[in-house]
Amino acid sequence: MRRLALIAALTAVLAPASATAATQRTTMAKVLPYFMCVTCDIPLANAQSPQAEKERAYIQQLINAGDTFAQIKTALIAQYGEHVLALPPASGFDIAVYAVPIAVVAALASLLVILLPRWRRRGPPGSADADPVLASADAVRLEAELARYDS
Amino acid sequence: MSILAAALIGLLVYGLAKQGTSRALDAAVRAGQRPRAPEITRALPVLVGIDRRTAALERWRGQVVVINFWASWCPTCGAEAGLLERAEHYLNARHEGTVLGVTYKDITSYSLSWLRQHGLTFPNVRDIDGSFAEGYGTAQLPETFVLDRRLRVVAISRGELTSESWLVHAMNAAAQA
Repeated sequence: MRRLALIAALTAVLAPASATAATQRTTMAKVLPYFMCVTCDIPLANAQSPQAEKERAYIQQLINAGDTFAQIKTALIAQYGEHVLALPPASGFDIAVYAVPIAVVAALASLLVILLPRWRRRGPPGSADADPVLASADAVRLEAELARYDS
Repeated sequence: MSILAAALIGLLVYGLAKQGTSRALDAAVRAGQRPRAPEITRALPVLVGIDRRTAALERWRGQVVVINFWASWCPTCGAEAGLLERAEHYLNARHEGTVLGVTYKDITSYSLSWLRQHGLTFPNVRDIDGSFAEGYGTAQLPETFVLDRRLRVVAISRGELTSESWLVHAMNAAAQA
């Protein structure tokens, strides 16, 4: 019984919030960044073509009718197909939009994994490993001179 | 690393090639050939004038078809509307075929309103994302293709139709196939 009362209380609190979210009105400024001009292939917000004008007019018409962002998105896809979306779906050739950056980052990370240990082993320039080996005659001379200073 | 570079270059070339419009049909028609119309079996959503939800070109096999790509946002499409309507009457009177309007990336309600405004009566289908038009090398409007009874391309007009005699000549040639 207590559980039922709790569910009823939660429903009473959450229902108006979800209803508000579902029916929340949107604005042109919020909608435009998500769509493309379908004839000029540039963001709708920047497009000046006659088709873009019609597309914006249609969106305004939907906003005036009280459509939510989700409803506007569905309506635009029904009219123009998924090419109207600024971020294309992850399928077909469009998957390159998502796959190429991931592939580039993965390739660079792999390169770092391979090259970093080599660079570390090599050490900084001028370190002991990098000192030139003296010729035997020079080494004998150096030892003799050092001995002279010590004495 | 070189594989990645090659893949990126390949992707770039593919993307650029995809953006270009094909003029293969024009070249074939200029050479006196009658190339098969592209996308014959592609079912397109019906806008008006056909008693089905979708229709493919195949439906008009055995008739002359004048395909006209247009949109309500196209500033020059209205100028040729009267000529196309006369072509529809011409074909209907001879029981030879039809004009078929294909809206290109247009809003349904705007297309319907535009048709009413220009008093056009021929059937129309919708090319929602422009992929049907792509097969015809169409990226700018208006464009018109005259197909013979075997759905082969007889004549092409890229840009606004201005010559009625050109269209009548093309329809007659298409009817004789």
